[in-house]
Amino acid sequence: MTAESLSASYTVEFPFERTVGPTIGAFLGGLRDGQLYGVRTERGALCPPLEFEPGTGAETGELVPVADTGTVTSWTWVRARLGDPVPHDFAWALIAIDGTIGALFHAVDVGGDSGRMATGMRVRARWRAERVGQLSDIECFEVAP
Amino acid sequence: MTEPVTTMPSPFRMDYTYVAGTGRTAFLRGLSERRLIARRCADCGQVYLPPPEFCSRCLTELEAPFELDGRGVISTFCVVNFPFPGQRIDPPYVVAHIQPHGAGTRPMHLVREVKPGQVHIGMEVEPVWVADDDLDTSLLSIRHFRPAPEGGADA
Repeated sequence: MTAESLSASYTVEFPFERTVGPTIGAFLGGLRDGQLYGVRTERGALCPPLEFEPGTGAETGELVPVADTGTVTSWTWVRARLGDPVPHDFAWALIAIDGTIGALFHAVDVGGDSGRMATGMRVRARWRAERVGQLSDIECFEVAP
Repeated sequence: MTEPVTTMPSPFRMDYTYVAGTGRTAFLRGLSERRLIARRCADCGQVYLPPPEFCSRCLTELEAPFELDGRGVISTFCVVNFPFPGQRIDPPYVVAHIQPHGAGTRPMHLVREVKPGQVHIGMEVEPVWVADDDLDTSLLSIRHFRPAPEGGADA
């Protein structure tokens, strides 16, 4: 039996383009305009918005503009890799946007110092100058003054 | 209200290294010599093509390698009509699971030299190898399978 194992490098790649539907489409349109939106539900404004209420399955209502500030409810610290939204080590966090229910998943930049991260900390969106209608139109969240 | 977005790019990309392991390395080296290497499990009798090192049912080490000629039957197939990025062959074309005679597994490959509408389950097929210079430690050493002539040499 030949001792040495063969190996080879591969790349799998597929350029998916997905349709987003009316509710998330309007949310992404808002991001392009630099405005965060939630959607009305019986329990309050849900951000990020969904077409249906996750708890009851009921259709959600109209979109409403919301603040671009919020509170970190949960986070995990990661080392920066190529393609990440922040060039140095940062946190992925769930952020409760002010005045809404739900949790927005995004990066939080604290200058590479994990000691500055805390559950309950206040954050604000850092918007890109050039926006195209994607979640990355918000570069990341940063500590709110 | 703002103009809604209708689509968003959602590209998928992954770089990885495939490590063949001892069993499949022997299989791949065989392909570069136009040989199809199989191995049998002494416990359950299953014959693997391509063979790993250990039986996936019994976890016992498989017996010594032996050769199959690659002739077999189509156990199931599909006609690919849909174009997609990176496609190497113009559709329509046939991709089939082929159970080689003497093997208990059903490797997947192209079936060509036949109209897609004439392909059927149970059809007898044989491998068509690439030219000597193109042989490699890859399943691409088999260009495709084609219908085998009735009453072939070892039928």
